[in-house]
Amino acid sequence: MNSSRAYGLLAGVAVTLLSTVSIDVFAAGYSADPAQSHLEFTGVQAGADFKGVFHKFTAAVNFSADALATSHFDVQIDMSSEDSKDKDRDQTVKGPDVFDVAHNPTAHYVTKSITKTASGYSAVGSLTLRGVTKDVPIDFQFTQAGSGAKLEGSAKLKRLDFGVGQGEWKSTEMVNDAVKVSFSLLLKPNT
Amino acid sequence: MPIEASRTRYTSVAQALHWIIAALIVTQFTLGWMGEDLPLGAHKLSLLARHKSFGMTVLMLAVLRLSWRLFNPPPPLPDGMSKIERFLARATHGAFYVLLFAMPLTGWLMSSAKNYSVSWFGLFTWPDLIAPNERAFDFLKGTHDLLSNVLFAVAVLHILAAVKHHFWNKDDVFRRMLPFTKTEKQL
Repeated sequence: MNSSRAYGLLAGVAVTLLSTVSIDVFAAGYSADPAQSHLEFTGVQAGADFKGVFHKFTAAVNFSADALATSHFDVQIDMSSEDSKDKDRDQTVKGPDVFDVAHNPTAHYVTKSITKTASGYSAVGSLTLRGVTKDVPIDFQFTQAGSGAKLEGSAKLKRLDFGVGQGEWKSTEMVNDAVKVSFSLLLKPNT
Repeated sequence: MPIEASRTRYTSVAQALHWIIAALIVTQFTLGWMGEDLPLGAHKLSLLARHKSFGMTVLMLAVLRLSWRLFNPPPPLPDGMSKIERFLARATHGAFYVLLFAMPLTGWLMSSAKNYSVSWFGLFTWPDLIAPNERAFDFLKGTHDLLSNVLFAVAVLHILAAVKHHFWNKDDVFRRMLPFTKTEKQL
């Protein structure tokens, strides 16, 4: 092996090392562990709160506190997995007047920007629900836990912005317009 | 309150509670019948929301009424009532008190079991008594329905007895629960 080839090899190793180091300025990639992640909504029906959960959803999260510009969430929700612990209500909620699961089987949330706040972080992203896409802000906390992380937060939205509630469910007399969404995700690093 | 008045008539508090609760029970039967067979919809939710608010009102008034009764015993039954009549009168009144609690409580329980928490006229929400459970709901709904039939029967017996006392026996039994009237002994 002559010296020029050895220098070339060294340079190659250096470039590889540098590029490895440079990955640090990009956010780390995670996905939510379905078994230990929870996504629910709280609505108000006839004056009383009711909760529903989504059993099936995926969340791909790229996040680093020092690389917010490249941090990003992508959440896909299987709307047919909605469960409010009453089959009559679930049937109505999945039906044509509310989620219309037959025509809109998934909801999708993608962040556009993430900023630091006093108590955690705030994301602005677009939510596609029942075929309508609108910006929805989310407040969240990101806590490193071993090689993974915990992501907890909530968002407030107006169901009628997305057409969730047609016909008799358009009225806010029995079901409020405001709905709270909250989530607690256990993130595992992507391998 | 004069002792004499409390001996021959129900107190005005007892009278007020009796008639308010009676009016609420009539309302409850009406709302319950209108709402129960409707499919899930805004109209059903609206009727049942009112049914639940009035039901919880009955429960609160029942607590008040029973407490009042403990410190203000009702006037004695008139002389000349047979043993069986006395037994029927006591059994009917006893059943009413049990049902005044059992009806709202089974209603509250079935709302919890179906995961539809009970709001009181939208002002506040009562805590859920049990976790959502479909089988518990079916059982509690069956119980609530059965008790409503018992309540209906007891109410019919109660009204017939009042009519009998007033028009047949011509005694004070009905009038002593009727506000703005006087009973003979008081005169």
